Amino acid sequence: MMNGTQNIIKKELTRVFTDKKMIFSLFILPAIMIIGMYSLMGMLATNMIKDIESHIPNVYIQNAPDDFMDMMEQMRFDANINNIDSEEDIAEIKEGILEGTIDLLVVFEEGFRDKIDAYQNVGDPIPEVKTYYNTAEDYSNAARSNFVENVLTSYQQSILSERLGNMEQLQVFYIDKDPTTSIIVDEKKADGKILSMLLPFLINIMLFSGAMSLGVDAITGEKERGTLSSMLVAPIKRSEIVFGKLVSLAILSSISAAVYAISIVVAMPLLMGGFVGDQMDINLSFSPLEILQLFVIMIVLVYLYVAMVALVAVIAKTSKEASTYVMPVYIIVLLGSIMTYMGSGQSKLKYFLIPIYNSAICLQNILMGELTIAQFGLTVGTTALVAAFVTGLITRAFNSEKIMFNA
Amino acid sequence: MIQVNNLSKVYKLSKKQMVEQRTKKNMKMAVENLSLTAKPGEIYGLLGPNGAGKTTTLRCIATLLKPTDGNITVCGYDTVKNAEKVRECISFLTNEIKLDPQFSPKYLFHFFGRLHKLEEKTIQERRAQLFDYFGIKEFEDKKYEELSTGMKQKASIAVSLAHDPDVIIFDEPTNGLDIVTARNVTDYLKLMKQEGKTVIISTHIMSEAAKLCDRIGIIINGALVMEGTLAEILESTNTKDLEDAFFELYQLHNKEEA
Repeated sequence: MMNGTQNIIKKELTRVFTDKKMIFSLFILPAIMIIGMYSLMGMLATNMIKDIESHIPNVYIQNAPDDFMDMMEQMRFDANINNIDSEEDIAEIKEGILEGTIDLLVVFEEGFRDKIDAYQNVGDPIPEVKTYYNTAEDYSNAARSNFVENVLTSYQQSILSERLGNMEQLQVFYIDKDPTTSIIVDEKKADGKILSMLLPFLINIMLFSGAMSLGVDAITGEKERGTLSSMLVAPIKRSEIVFGKLVSLAILSSISAAVYAISIVVAMPLLMGGFVGDQMDINLSFSPLEILQLFVIMIVLVYLYVAMVALVAVIAKTSKEASTYVMPVYIIVLLGSIMTYMGSGQSKLKYFLIPIYNSAICLQNILMGELTIAQFGLTVGTTALVAAFVTGLITRAFNSEKIMFNA
Repeated sequence: MIQVNNLSKVYKLSKKQMVEQRTKKNMKMAVENLSLTAKPGEIYGLLGPNGAGKTTTLRCIATLLKPTDGNITVCGYDTVKNAEKVRECISFLTNEIKLDPQFSPKYLFHFFGRLHKLEEKTIQERRAQLFDYFGIKEFEDKKYEELSTGMKQKASIAVSLAHDPDVIIFDEPTNGLDIVTARNVTDYLKLMKQEGKTVIISTHIMSEAAKLCDRIGIIINGALVMEGTLAEILESTNTKDLEDAFFELYQLHNKEEA
């Protein structure tokens, strides 16, 4: 039995690894694309942030009180400030904000300072500062939040302390003076939580898309080219051919998934260069048992995916047909793995009986460090069972005259 | 030795195929109650027009299709019960069966040799012998896709004979080949015959059947309407050449159908 299978595996691997174009398109191009894409995105993001930071906003202020103007001067708020008085029409300025030529309009209510000074009791009028800005414009957004956070808030604080004398009266009590000492957490679980949402999804996509591109060519392609029939007249069992094909495809898909995974790990810092750095400061460490579990799950999973693709590929008459048929299967896999976003850390055992989804939650639980042996066993068991069933179906398809010879 | 006993093969037609073939029946009788025997040391030719059932018959013999009715034994093995044993002793060649374009004839020869469970040493010897005969040596390391049609055909034949089969089944052996290559193929078939192999071919070329085959079976609408040596066929149809004999039979049997 193993002789034919081994021979076919060897040939399939030789086919890919002696073909420079195949090696390039399967293993090198994806790496270049991911790293290139991520570093480009990172670069653009950095540039965008720098650009916003270096932009000097055009700000119009109506009815600015004198003490506010004094404070602005002291603070050296970096902007082109245009003061306008209350008679001026602000419609034109609003138009400018809409077009993006003006970044911010700040309107102080008529008699702003007088109303504040006159305040005595509850119910007395409280004046308003109104800002106008464009949420679709990055410059305008940045100008508004800078203005509110830095200028208006300090102005408010200074008037408050003027009025109350003692600011501590407002504080009453503190909440977490030093927030960093408040957190009690299992570092692994916290880090795992971010990754556990994302990683099962990524792993599923990578494994399946690898299987998809390879499987269609290796089976429908061979059927189309007429090279599969040459194996059908050889004195080996159909199941040997099927098994040989599936194992070699699983090997190739795993390599392709590994290339993706490594590229993403390499490219992540390049992408994140544009954003805050410390969010990506994730340290993952696995125990030997967890590594073994991860490995076993990946192996049965990649075999299942390859088998699913192969089943579609063997039924399809042409590669074009196969690519169409494989899409719904791809969507099922995506759905199964995207469900890990909903709840993190499933524990009910019955969920570990649903193929595809169970692998996703298994991966999630490994990353959180809370996978139980029962969950692991059920997942591997059901996945292997489904994979064996699909392999059986493929063998039946290989035996079908209708499918193999259109007879 | 090939023995076909009362072979019938029925295809189920899909709705699309029914429309294409303008029929309301969802079944198509491709071969009906066909019996024939091909013996070692002879070339048996199945002669018939396109769609007569030649390829179906050969595919049944090669274990690729299962008979709807009747049975076939090849080298003493049943093609359904002992399909693997049958495949061990046959070589099946058709234009639809092609070799992997990315591999060299040398690699493919070894690959199929190993599939036939041959020793590495035997494979080497067979390769030297066959590649020499067909003149494949100079392009044995070239990729199959880079070869010319003639070279490809030679390589396919050599590879299919790696395991020194007792029975050679060849569907339309010279179809699409130039005169030189075609001659090469028919010469080899004659050599096989001399070596005591059983050779069965299908063809629609009268001259080929007349020149090459020891016995000819004429197949029309899935049924074997006549079988015998060229002389026997000419005598019983009272004609001078095979083409006339064929048309005589064709008119007779097509009328019956209609």
